[in-house]
Amino acid sequence: MNVSIVPTLRVLRPAATVALVGLIGIIAGFYANATLFTDTSPEQPIAFSHKIHAGDNEVPCLYCHVQARRSISAGVPSVNKCMGCHLEVATDRPQIRLLANYWDTKEPIPWIKVHDLPDFVHFTHKRHVQAGIECQTCHGPVETMAVVSREAPLKMGLCLNCHKDNAVENGTDCWTCHK
Amino acid sequence: MANVDRREFLKLVGAGSVGVGAGYLLAESIKHPVEHLIPYSVPPEEFSPGIATWYNSVCGMCPAGCGISVRTREGRAKKIEGNPAHPVNQGRLCALGQAGLQTLYNPDRITAPMLLQGKRGNDAFVETTWKEGLANVSGRLGVPGVATVVLSQGVRGQLANLLELFTAELGSAELLHYDFAHPHTLYAANERLFGQQQLPYYDIANTRYLMSFGADFLNNWLSPVHHSLGFGHSRQGGDAQRLRFVQIEPKMSISGAAADEWVAARPGSEGVLALGIAHQILAGGRYSGSDADDWTAALADYSPELVAEQSGVAAATIVRLADEFAQAKPALAIGGGSAANNSNGTDTLVAVTALNYLVGNIGQAGGLIFNPDPVTGPSASSRRANYEVMRDLAEAAQQGVVDVLIVNNTNPLFTLPTAAGFKEALASIPLIVSLSSFMDETTAMADVILPSHTYLESWGDDVPQPGVGFSVAAVSQPVVAPLYNTRSTGDILLGLASNLGFRDAIPWTTMEECIKDGWREIHARGEPGSGDFDSFWHDVLQSGVWGEDVRQQQDATVSKEVIDNIGVAAPEFAGDVGDYPFVLHPFMSTSMYDGRGANLPWMQELPDPITSVVYGSWLEMNPATADKMGLQDGDLVQVASMQGSVEVPVVIFPAIMPDVVAMPIGQGHESLGRYARNRGANPIQILAPVTDPVSGALATGATRVSVVATGRRAPAVKTGGESRQLGRDIVRFTSTTSDATEHSAKLNSIPISVEPA
Amino acid sequence: MSFMDRFVSGWRKHRQAATDDDFDYAWTMSIDLDRCTGCGACVTACQAENNIPLVGEKELAGGREMQWIRIERYWEGEYPNAKLSFIPMMCQHCDSAPCETVCPVSATYHNQDGLNTQIYNRCIGTRSCAVYCPYEVRFFNYYDHHWPAPLDQQLNPDVTVREKGVMEKCTFCIQRIRQAKDHAKDEGRRVADGEVQPACVQTCPSEALVFGDRKDPNSNVSKSINDPRAYHVLGELNTRPSVVYLKKVDADVV
Repeated sequence: MNVSIVPTLRVLRPAATVALVGLIGIIAGFYANATLFTDTSPEQPIAFSHKIHAGDNEVPCLYCHVQARRSISAGVPSVNKCMGCHLEVATDRPQIRLLANYWDTKEPIPWIKVHDLPDFVHFTHKRHVQAGIECQTCHGPVETMAVVSREAPLKMGLCLNCHKDNAVENGTDCWTCHK
Repeated sequence: MANVDRREFLKLVGAGSVGVGAGYLLAESIKHPVEHLIPYSVPPEEFSPGIATWYNSVCGMCPAGCGISVRTREGRAKKIEGNPAHPVNQGRLCALGQAGLQTLYNPDRITAPMLLQGKRGNDAFVETTWKEGLANVSGRLGVPGVATVVLSQGVRGQLANLLELFTAELGSAELLHYDFAHPHTLYAANERLFGQQQLPYYDIANTRYLMSFGADFLNNWLSPVHHSLGFGHSRQGGDAQRLRFVQIEPKMSISGAAADEWVAARPGSEGVLALGIAHQILAGGRYSGSDADDWTAALADYSPELVAEQSGVAAATIVRLADEFAQAKPALAIGGGSAANNSNGTDTLVAVTALNYLVGNIGQAGGLIFNPDPVTGPSASSRRANYEVMRDLAEAAQQGVVDVLIVNNTNPLFTLPTAAGFKEALASIPLIVSLSSFMDETTAMADVILPSHTYLESWGDDVPQPGVGFSVAAVSQPVVAPLYNTRSTGDILLGLASNLGFRDAIPWTTMEECIKDGWREIHARGEPGSGDFDSFWHDVLQSGVWGEDVRQQQDATVSKEVIDNIGVAAPEFAGDVGDYPFVLHPFMSTSMYDGRGANLPWMQELPDPITSVVYGSWLEMNPATADKMGLQDGDLVQVASMQGSVEVPVVIFPAIMPDVVAMPIGQGHESLGRYARNRGANPIQILAPVTDPVSGALATGATRVSVVATGRRAPAVKTGGESRQLGRDIVRFTSTTSDATEHSAKLNSIPISVEPA
Repeated sequence: MSFMDRFVSGWRKHRQAATDDDFDYAWTMSIDLDRCTGCGACVTACQAENNIPLVGEKELAGGREMQWIRIERYWEGEYPNAKLSFIPMMCQHCDSAPCETVCPVSATYHNQDGLNTQIYNRCIGTRSCAVYCPYEVRFFNYYDHHWPAPLDQQLNPDVTVREKGVMEKCTFCIQRIRQAKDHAKDEGRRVADGEVQPACVQTCPSEALVFGDRKDPNSNVSKSINDPRAYHVLGELNTRPSVVYLKKVDADVV
């Protein structure tokens, strides 16, 4: 008996086409969300400009992110620290008034995290800062950003490539970075 | 595709848009939620994100008083470890101590002061403010002549002082410390023999031969972590001869499992057994003290043969144990648990403790060493409420003599037998105030709840009981900011005192000040000019503990009167042997202690070491007995005494006497939160009100019960699998004399190869 | 080298048991059964340190317990001569681990410190490793577990909370090892003996558990390995565990 699958394929073709178009749609939708609709520079409660502080006035990163050289987290400066300068400096600007308001009410400022890693990743600022890695390597040219945005993707490839290029001790062992 | 018709086209457009939508949503669903970085306005001094801060304090889970170091990150407590500087636990901690964090972060804590609305016991409390709550109580306490009873858990240090001052100021008030596990009989025995108010230090670390009469010293007797350290040291620490250790009890405890020899003795016969051993020591001429003749005369009736008859231990074994005990230097005898919980408890412990005197180990390394009086707070044994006191309190209350009852973190409704009548007593007390952090059974009966902090949020200080042979004191400091609108017990008392105008006697406004004032005295003990108090206080907070390694005078003489009266009467049991054929042996389990561990989920999930049971109660029964009764592991049985009954599943237990059944204490809560409620059964409830007349302690091992099959099965949940090795050689043994030949010093010597040929 | 050659040699290396020479540190635990009292402090310490979820009574009844370290107990003899022995059991970090060779995604492998790793974000939940493990110390997350507030505030930020569908097991407290190495690196030295103590070892009241680097001949754990009482549980399977047990002493044994 002569059997051909061609008729069956012919019947399936419209369905396959629909499925294919649907799949392309899913991929397109996924990427559209990830690239167009993901906010890499969210609006912060105070329009703090790294450009003014770290760029124009050349305040060193570690002056405010003082924990970075000795802790896993870089730390955000306390309102106390901000007020250390802004009791005197630029007190008439609206954004500084906003800050002073937080200070007066002793409310914390709910900054939104721009650079975030998943919970299963162990990253320590301390080791990287002490190894002399520039902050900009991962965070991008923050000193030029009026509004901070996530420049580097902070994906595993970025870490691994750097670890390989610099021949980091045990730099590719999973348990060095995964907890 | 040239001739796509309209229908086809719409289909494709539809598929495409659904796809895009689905893809978008998929990306959305795996997106990381927005996280915030919230800095402090003004950061606390030691605060640094990402770096752990450790605070030294004192464990509050049991009365042993271990030092703890709590790891905190970003202001939250993450882990409790032992404080290495504390001489009691030297950095180590037991399971219950580890679980202390679940007291702090328990989801069932009382979060604010509350007032009862409507009928008692219907759980209808409404939140109130501290001001109102305190005013409510102090208003009632301020009425002249109001009869008040302050019933506290056993507290020490400055808080105990404060309680004393507070009750004294109240006038017609009585202060009682009540703990289920308080060793009344042991205190009474040491007092009678040596006139000692404090419990002695048992130097297990340096002894060569340990004879334990029922004391589950590795599990929860007195100071289990310290005992375990000593046990580990004397077993395999250094080059010293390995400890030989004999445990004598009717049901194998955790300590019994660790023993080299486990001897089953009839419940209540431990005392005569000890006297039989003493008799043999004297008969063998191994005691040469000037009072040897008095002892010989007093012990004349306790020949090994007669003792064997009463205890069920063979005469030859008694003779051998006596010989071993007398020959080993140093040898140590301890007694507690099943030996202390009969109607002859004090006499039994006097007999056991006398063994130490007869082998001359008092004040010696590896023996029994007297402890100095506490450096802060009142004496440990003062105002301790035994069962008789609690029963009298219940009676008085029922007669309407008690107007106000203030309960501080103790739960008599759970830890007293129904026969004590405490529930009825509570019903006739007009005002009950509870300072508990949890809605336990007693607190559920309260009118006003003024919730206290957990120990991890409070200021306090402590002198461990028993001590370690020299003066030790420790400070407990808050390791986290209070989670809820609660206050420390001390601050609640200070608040009431302030309302009542007790300013002159109680001058402090905060507990921290009160503690510091107490420690000024300790500071004054130091050499003059050794620094000011502030730097001393700073050092104490940092190390968490203070000690003065000076042994007190160790003069041990036993008066002739005591020797002449030595003797142990036959134990008294409630219930007729015919109707109630078994002696019920309730024991404190590893995880629950006296029931306080039941609301901690880690403790519920910690398998009982011996049976591997989790989340429930069970009845341990000898395999031969179970066989005879046709019972199998997992059969639900009714355990009935003259006072009541409980239903629990049977667990076949290879090391329990055939006419004894055992049940763990701690489960069977009607209250105490989601993890504890309606789980298992409470054996204390069915205990008969038999006491040891000397100490007034409840004889918890003096109740006879019947065991009747219900015909239903409800196997206890166990995590352990097969409990026999079946030739797998998982646990291996060696005799002390075996040489090294059978061992592979090179453990990894077997080559393995997958290289190609 | 062709891809196939690389694959074959890589596989061969993967199949071969590592030796101490291959390791940077060779972390080892010794457990003295003559000291162990079975108190269970190690179990709770581990629960607290490693964010081990509470699985509840129902799951426990179904045999789905989750305890990286457990106390096994074995009875010998009958009443009145019954004897009971306890033995703590956790991942043995075998140098020739059966679990490592079966993982299809290399979520479990041997690292340069002689540790048997478990990489949660890589694990796809085949559960093969648990089947192959003769010690039964691997646990599977059948559910997402939750901590009723505020119990979640206790969670250790240095340890991941595992999701549904991944395998987990004892890591020898990798977070503590990592931290000790970090400190050592600050001071430009190797990790000293006793500097790393997993939670179970740290709390053991009878000091039955000892942890350290067996490549350091003076470490306490090296002394334990050379103790004539040392043995491996199920050593005949040639798994070459990194956990060494010291025999219980029993004078009645001949």
